[in-house]
Amino acid sequence: MKIKDFRRGARQSLRDENLQAALDNNALRRKEGRLAAIASLPDFAERRLRAHAVKAEVVAHLDETLERFVERVTANGIQVHRAPDAAEAIRIFLEIAQAETAGQKRPGEGSTPLLVAKAKSMLSEEIHFNHALEAAGMRVVETDLGEYIIQLRGERPSHIITPAVHLRRADVGRLFAEKLDLPYTEDIPTLTNAARKALREVFLSADIGVSGVNFGVAETGTLCVVTNEGNGRMCTTLPRVHVALMGIERLVRSLDELALFLSLLPRSATGQKLSVYTNLINSPLPGTGQRRHLILVDNGRRALRNSPLVESLYCIRCGACLNACPVFRETGGHAYGSIYPGPIGSVISCALVDREYASLAQASSLCGACREACPVDIDLPGMLLRVRSGLIPERAGSPEGKAARIKEGAGLPVPVRLGLKGFRLAAANPGLFDLFQGLGGLLSRLYSPRRAYMHLPAWTGWGYSKEFPRLAVRPFRRRWNEVEQEVAESGDRVNRQAEAGEDGRDQGTGSQSLAARFTEELTALGGKVYLMQMEDLPGRLRDLLNSRGIQRVLVDDAGAIYLGDVSAVREPDPAVRAGVTGALVGIAESGSLVLVSGEGQTLTASLLPEIHIAVLKVSAIVPGLEEALRRPELRTAAAGVIVTGPSRTADIEMTLTIGVHGPGELHVFLIDDSKSV
Amino acid sequence: MSETVQLFVTCLIDSFFPHIGEAMVRVLNRAGARVEFPSGQTCCGQPAFNAGLRGEARPLAEHTIEVFERTSGEIIIPSGSCAAMVRHGYPELFRDDPAWLRRAERLRERTYEFTEYLVDVRGVTDLKARWTGKLCYHPSCHLLRGLGVDRQPRVLLEAVREAEIVPLPEREDCCGFGGVFSIEHPELSGEFLRRKIGNFESSGAPTLVVADTGCLMHIEGGLRRRGMSQRVVHIAEVLDSR
Repeated sequence: MKIKDFRRGARQSLRDENLQAALDNNALRRKEGRLAAIASLPDFAERRLRAHAVKAEVVAHLDETLERFVERVTANGIQVHRAPDAAEAIRIFLEIAQAETAGQKRPGEGSTPLLVAKAKSMLSEEIHFNHALEAAGMRVVETDLGEYIIQLRGERPSHIITPAVHLRRADVGRLFAEKLDLPYTEDIPTLTNAARKALREVFLSADIGVSGVNFGVAETGTLCVVTNEGNGRMCTTLPRVHVALMGIERLVRSLDELALFLSLLPRSATGQKLSVYTNLINSPLPGTGQRRHLILVDNGRRALRNSPLVESLYCIRCGACLNACPVFRETGGHAYGSIYPGPIGSVISCALVDREYASLAQASSLCGACREACPVDIDLPGMLLRVRSGLIPERAGSPEGKAARIKEGAGLPVPVRLGLKGFRLAAANPGLFDLFQGLGGLLSRLYSPRRAYMHLPAWTGWGYSKEFPRLAVRPFRRRWNEVEQEVAESGDRVNRQAEAGEDGRDQGTGSQSLAARFTEELTALGGKVYLMQMEDLPGRLRDLLNSRGIQRVLVDDAGAIYLGDVSAVREPDPAVRAGVTGALVGIAESGSLVLVSGEGQTLTASLLPEIHIAVLKVSAIVPGLEEALRRPELRTAAAGVIVTGPSRTADIEMTLTIGVHGPGELHVFLIDDSKSV
Repeated sequence: MSETVQLFVTCLIDSFFPHIGEAMVRVLNRAGARVEFPSGQTCCGQPAFNAGLRGEARPLAEHTIEVFERTSGEIIIPSGSCAAMVRHGYPELFRDDPAWLRRAERLRERTYEFTEYLVDVRGVTDLKARWTGKLCYHPSCHLLRGLGVDRQPRVLLEAVREAEIVPLPEREDCCGFGGVFSIEHPELSGEFLRRKIGNFESSGAPTLVVADTGCLMHIEGGLRRRGMSQRVVHIAEVLDSR
């Protein structure tokens, strides 16, 4: 039974000081970050309820929304596949791999196995993707730093957002010394750089890139993939074949709704206004021969939809409930056994992974911190209570999945179950209740004649860490008559009082210009912004490149027009350290740049070099994400990306490290075109 | 607002802490309510419901509904979690039974947590209470997040004469009671409790105020086990003191 494993795992976690320090750090830093990020959205509470309502409608009309989405995705030139369960998802992937690489390499043959570069995807964990591919003779490399670390350790993620949250820098130092031949170090930038180097090879030589999907947009067929390090961009841009894995419920209807969810996901997950790279993928990249596939996986989701746990399908996998959960803070993710740990995991694991995980619902004090943290207002305590009472879906994958009762209180220790039954027998009958109260009062007086709190032995559970109060010899019901008489005779009264008004909240916003706000936000993220006139640009660009000792840059068409006499290349070249691009739009509220692919624009100049220089016009800055996502170019381009600061990770000890797979420096040449507008 | 209110004292206060029930009656009386005590009441069914044993919880919920539907006026409960059980748990428990659901809904509309009733219904914030020394308030999970009641106990405490209200670090964290959780997961529950007591100790107050008896007996039990002199009191005791 899984709950016994959980209890054992929890005890192990509590003894592990290293883990306790890591988990405390996670809980406190994530809470702080989330609250600060939420505070930057004045209408957060309203957005949260709106997001709940949107998801409720999408899930209620799942099949229609899904059909619309599939139609659009197919029309955009992406091949769509549907997998009712894990086995079918794997089979489809292997078939794609074989068909797409026919005549080049065959899985498992020859000295170089098929190489799969993989961005983070919890769905892939759910269906045991890596294991299946390796069994088929392929080489799968996780490219998210945290996932890479745990893959090297042969572990599974302990958190859905920060997979290596259970490790400290020394653990990673030892691991890299052993596996990557790196001299032992605890310096996080050095460790990150070692992973960058090792993974760069993988990106450039991978046969297939695999990613998850955070949101599918039904009206446009857009796949939205959110990452911070840049590995998601690499996996979906560089390999000739991109395969995306997506749960069938991860849908929104429109780009406006996407904007709503993107305002909630990064804030709740990592305390960012936007993740560094928000990829918007519409179709294969033109001129590259790229092929894209989408595998839509059910694997128990429709069964959940038709069950009393339907709300759990509103989840956007931000991990906020894990970070807020006091149980998770003590145990970490591995104790749960399921790859979905924490409050949401204790609800969905019984449907998506194994029915036996239903007993994990006992791993909660029902404190409700999870629901409070949930950006979609999922009633997690309510869902946990339903799982506890046995209201879980039929076996994963069954199409109808009506609620089926398993045993009530699965995982409850037998003495507790018996105790509650006995208590019910007594309490359903006031006379009997009265009798037991009197008896209890007497017995507890005998057990502990002098002290009002009794010392119970540890095996009782309660006695492990606290004393238990004696029952009263005269319960309240026996005292009632006296109390009633006492107050009847007393003339003691207070009057109704008017409460002092509150909520005089400051609504002042200030009239900050968009360019100033953009500059402030991006600078706070470590980006550099230089305001200049158009005619000064070539000179300023040359100065910046000279200061870095750079002679040549990688450009796309949008960047090429600004170059002046700087020499440039169009094809990715590892020796070129800077890339120059244009930018379609700037977003003031988050300091973001929107770049789109197109004729002569491959999105590599903003991705591969260490330094990304973008040219943005002041007139192209919009206030928020909603306005940016309304640009028609984002619907028509093969792919777009919203860049919010330099590439970064906090996968090792929550320590922010700049420059992982994407550029470590981001410079924005902001052209003052106010006079010409 | 009705003149007469019904006291649902809860099984914990009835059996373990009758003096809290008495304090509550005096406070309600001072606030102008005539208190009645329906004698057949026992337990709302929350322990079994939260443990997942809905079959065991249901007879107790039905019993409670039967006892209180024979009465009139608001029903006052000195415990956030029991009030949350009536307000949120009962509709869930009877979701597939329209007849009982209607009866549960009628009960729910009359039910208030003690501090919520005083402030929101009676419009009373100053009970002319007096308490010398520092007080620290721990918001119980089901009161704070389950019912959204936080301002009410705090304005009531602010009005207490001579009392200095000091903040509790990490105030909103669970104390580790959680009903059967405190027995089922002794190590986890003990760890929550250790942190809660540490935070309480660092507040410098000798007295922790709660509005839920589950948390009271849990934290007090932890203090006694450690031989500490700090104490936990129910908010009704503070408001009753002169």
